[in-house]
Amino acid sequence: MKRHFGRIKLGLALATLAAAASLIACQPSATPAQPPQSTEQVPVESPPAQQTSITMVVAQEPTGFNGLVTDTGYEQLVGELVYLAVSEIDPQGDIYPELAAEIPTLENGGVVLDEENWTMDVTWKLRDDITWADGEPVTADDVVFTWNAITDPEKGIWVDGVDYTDSVEKIDDYSFVVHYNTVFPGYRTQFGGENFAVYPEHFCEAEQGFTAWDCNRKPLSDGPYILKDWQTNDYLLFERNPSYYEEGKPAIDQIIVKVVPEESVRKTMMMEGDADVNMWLTVASVAELEGQPGVYVSHAPTQRWVMRLIPNLAKRGTIDASAEPHPIFSDLQVRKAVRMAIDVDTIVKEIFLDYVQPVWTEFFRPPYNVCDIPRPAYDPDGARALLEGAGWVDADGDGVRECHGCATAEEGTPLSFELMTYAEFGEELELAQQLIGEMLGGVGFDVQLSVIEGAVLWADYESGGIEQNGDFDLNLYDDGYPGTDPTDNMLWYYYHTDAAQPDSGWNVGRWSNADFDALIDDAYTLDEEYRKEVFCQMAEIMDAELPQILMWSGIEANAFSSRILGAQSTVNDSLSWNVADWTLGE
Amino acid sequence: MQTIEAINPQRSPKEAPGKKAGVGLTAIVWRRFRRHPGAIAGAIVLSIIVLSCTLAFLSPYDPYRSDITSRLEPPSLAHPFGTDQLGRDLLTRCLYGGRISLLVGALVVLVTLIIGVPVGALAGYLGGWVDDVLMRIIDAALSLPVLLILILLSAILREVELPAFERNNVVLIALVIGALSWMTVARLVRALFLTLREQEYVTAARALGASSLLIMSSEILPNSFGPIIVESTLEIGWAILEESGLSFLGFGIQPPTPSWGNLLNGAQEHIITHPWLAIFPGVMIFLTIISVNYIGDGLRDALDPYKVLKQIAEV
Amino acid sequence: MLSYILRRLLQAIPLLLILSLLLFTLVNLAPGGPLAGLSRTRRASTEKTEQLKQQFGLDKPLPLQYLIWLAGNDWMRVDLDGDGVKESYGTRRGILRGDFGFSYRTRQPVIEEIRHRVGNTMYLVSITLLVVALIAIPVGVLSAIKQYSTFDILATTLSFVGQAIPEFWLGLILIFIFYAWLENPLTGQPLLPVGGMYTVGAPFSLLDRTSHLVLPVIMGMVGWVAWYSRFLRSSMLDVIHQDYIRTARAKGLREWAVMFRHALKNALIPLVTLFALDFPYIFAGSLYVELIFAWPGMGRLYYDSAVRRDYPVMLALLIIGAGLILICNLLADIAYAALDPRVRYD
Repeated sequence: MKRHFGRIKLGLALATLAAAASLIACQPSATPAQPPQSTEQVPVESPPAQQTSITMVVAQEPTGFNGLVTDTGYEQLVGELVYLAVSEIDPQGDIYPELAAEIPTLENGGVVLDEENWTMDVTWKLRDDITWADGEPVTADDVVFTWNAITDPEKGIWVDGVDYTDSVEKIDDYSFVVHYNTVFPGYRTQFGGENFAVYPEHFCEAEQGFTAWDCNRKPLSDGPYILKDWQTNDYLLFERNPSYYEEGKPAIDQIIVKVVPEESVRKTMMMEGDADVNMWLTVASVAELEGQPGVYVSHAPTQRWVMRLIPNLAKRGTIDASAEPHPIFSDLQVRKAVRMAIDVDTIVKEIFLDYVQPVWTEFFRPPYNVCDIPRPAYDPDGARALLEGAGWVDADGDGVRECHGCATAEEGTPLSFELMTYAEFGEELELAQQLIGEMLGGVGFDVQLSVIEGAVLWADYESGGIEQNGDFDLNLYDDGYPGTDPTDNMLWYYYHTDAAQPDSGWNVGRWSNADFDALIDDAYTLDEEYRKEVFCQMAEIMDAELPQILMWSGIEANAFSSRILGAQSTVNDSLSWNVADWTLGE
Repeated sequence: MQTIEAINPQRSPKEAPGKKAGVGLTAIVWRRFRRHPGAIAGAIVLSIIVLSCTLAFLSPYDPYRSDITSRLEPPSLAHPFGTDQLGRDLLTRCLYGGRISLLVGALVVLVTLIIGVPVGALAGYLGGWVDDVLMRIIDAALSLPVLLILILLSAILREVELPAFERNNVVLIALVIGALSWMTVARLVRALFLTLREQEYVTAARALGASSLLIMSSEILPNSFGPIIVESTLEIGWAILEESGLSFLGFGIQPPTPSWGNLLNGAQEHIITHPWLAIFPGVMIFLTIISVNYIGDGLRDALDPYKVLKQIAEV
Repeated sequence: MLSYILRRLLQAIPLLLILSLLLFTLVNLAPGGPLAGLSRTRRASTEKTEQLKQQFGLDKPLPLQYLIWLAGNDWMRVDLDGDGVKESYGTRRGILRGDFGFSYRTRQPVIEEIRHRVGNTMYLVSITLLVVALIAIPVGVLSAIKQYSTFDILATTLSFVGQAIPEFWLGLILIFIFYAWLENPLTGQPLLPVGGMYTVGAPFSLLDRTSHLVLPVIMGMVGWVAWYSRFLRSSMLDVIHQDYIRTARAKGLREWAVMFRHALKNALIPLVTLFALDFPYIFAGSLYVELIFAWPGMGRLYYDSAVRRDYPVMLALLIIGAGLILICNLLADIAYAALDPRVRYD
């Protein structure tokens, strides 16, 4: 064997070379993408260039087509391509029907109110001209089936409105009725909106359960596109659905959704024309892409994501603010000083390049932007005065105040805390966090900064979730409600006393105000004028007690190639909400 | 007689009988080291880096203070390395980051020595079942995929509240990296002790009744210094690389505390438009590691016992 | 020899079990719920979390979870619908039967997730290794043969450089040079692509595949080429100074025959074992490459899972990594014995 080793080695070398060439040629786990020619319908002579195609680049792969089970935003992007819902929200916040023939209201008799028992029934009528891609019509059976699958105790999931809904029943093929046990103003988007989609009863396996059925990965389309191919972690390929109900739509034949994790690469791809849609731009990208020839940036006309500071009113690691109050943040004067010390305008201008706006109340979006809450002033001297008056004095001259006669902490406690934010937002938030830390440091706080992954910050109580366990002092992040109704999706979750219980809600600051709780209950009514009054009372309480300190609203911007006409970013849905209406210009 | 004394550095060269100036062990090692241009250059570069990082406080800029109006400026006279996303001077941050990275590197080596040397010594000297058990442990530890476990451990430790440690703790990270890297040193020391325990002076010492511990620490260990020093030097470079990689991924040292690795993490987004953010920290890592490697190479040659012996014999 | 292999394999099993226990415990010590990172808005995930935790069996005590993870729960009764009554059999078979559970993020079987990626990483790593061998071996050998020549000094210096360059930094610099700075003189587009394995939607093309490989392979190979060329050089030098080489020359063999037929193959022996030992590290190192160049492989899968605390996937990859190391160690020892007749295990 020794003697021939040399020749064996040579043979090995050649063999490995051949193997390498074949490795490059036949890459095992990815089948070569289909060439853009479509299938049998197109005659062989027609040039393949006729098929129109756009490429969307995204940072993460969607986990599926189900925006309820996981909602990173990417599920909604692709979900809107293949699935329809009963109703949807447009960029202005108005609700429009999709599968429904019209939105039921009190006026048109779709909503029947029982004033005595304070319950209601809502009857929906569906269109009769929509079919699934296999030809079966979309009927009320599908809606009822979807609802039951979602609310299945074993294999389902929690969804907005389930607590208020007694039952959903089919009346006939194209209408169904929902019986509520209370008055639920959010009924209009209960079967639609951002996350909800209607699944085909004859196709999805109920046995597998809503969270795990194949329909989440291999959908049957009733939307404008059909999933053609999915190379995991790489791309998804969609082709237009020939049986889509709107005549002549969609105009674009093919959509490729490609996973490109690096923002800089996505940006460059847009500039070079290798990509046509770049989802969720950071502020820096907006600045660079606006004004690029061939690219336009679409901003949502309304705002949604409000960046806020959430102080923990309970002592760190505990959950009862009255039993063990936080030595620093249970003091309202301190919270007010924090708000005064932050120069929101500078942050908005320098970090977010004026693409966002200062916000100081939850009720800043139409139709509820009617409350007269004055804008808090940026006043660092005032902040210092407040702190002095509250008993936080820098006696030893080290720049950090200590408690000397303060109301909430022991004598000598330093005004020192940890400012946390989450990692997934990106650089701008970390920069803002650092700036805020500096501003607060300027008035006598000692601020430690930390950035934590969302998976840890918002985990449930038993898994060690930082917020649910109260393991924080001051948290910085953004949130906002879709559509126009803040009651369920905002007010209860962040401000109701019951929401302060671990794993019940997100009142992780452990704030409690009985008047506010009562007002929340009052808001469950269909009387819009009354609601506005209620909301304004809430706004005043929030401004007085500062359970959260609101600062600015985030951008919602996506980049589109200029050859795409009709695209519009929105805070209420994914950018693909109107993909059927897009056309290619140029 | 003279050879044995020369090998055993416990006796200072001045004490050894019949010594001429410059013939002692240290002098020989130094002379041999001096002959390596790469090693000398490495030593110079490393000294410059360490010195600048120590003197970082002389910089007029505060590495933590942001200056929003001068964000992302390219290198200039005022800012030789440019400024970062918050307007902080990059040179200053690189120097302060260097402190952290170098400190972590040194601490990691310390940890590996503290764990690895006793383990290896015991395994090599005592042999038998002790050796078996310790080798099993070393093998088991070596079967762990290091980078993956590093990520996991730092993820755990970042959020857990430990009583003595604050969150972003250099010592903790060094402990974590060190806990996964002591095996090489242990194996080396084991091999050394295995060989050296057969030497005559060990048999002699045992015959005289010296305890194992005494023998290990005063007879064998000093003779192992050479290879251990070389290994440690090279490990500094490797440790700095590991920490930088970990911080680059976002799992090591957290901003705003600078470290060369996390400076690179922040630079990734801007590589196309503001490349200097990535170039300079990377260059510093590169220079440090290449210097350390050249020094280690020079030391390896300088401390080679056979060649040193030959040179002593030539005297 | 066979008994040696069997012995090693038998020893590896309890080791893997202990490692699995250690890794399982470690992974579950990490704070962070599996489902919290999956929502753009934080609210409303608490109810979902409760239900999903139950579906994933996370409400059980840890030792029981370990047992289920290892051996499945289809042989015991579980309570699936939360009504407190254990009426159905579980559905998991445990990793001993190849069922690594379901990813928290995608609800797909972990095996599927890994299966999709393994090929891509193997593809990248094999090409990288091939290039490393093709460059390092000739360079190392030539350096040894022409010791102290200009070539040797240059090669040695370059290898010092290559070993000192941080891999992830190199990747960024490569992107800057070849994507942002240099341009393809023919098309004015970037010279080389920096994302993925091939251009989506385009027909299959060898040129396309190769161009996507260039930068990731360069990034991955530089450090290893530097290391191996130096190692081969010193190994070759050791061999050249042996007596039998002098004997071969004295016998009148021509120099190239001496070098290649006798010296090289002996110098390569330790290289083979080193390759086998280093293979798992090259695999792990692909993490940086895959991250920077958007390569859909296992390294990136681990990173994505770590950030999102997708424990089943992390755990599976850790076990696979440990298993790989054990197997490669064994293979290295076997190869060493097979190639060097002086080495005998019994």
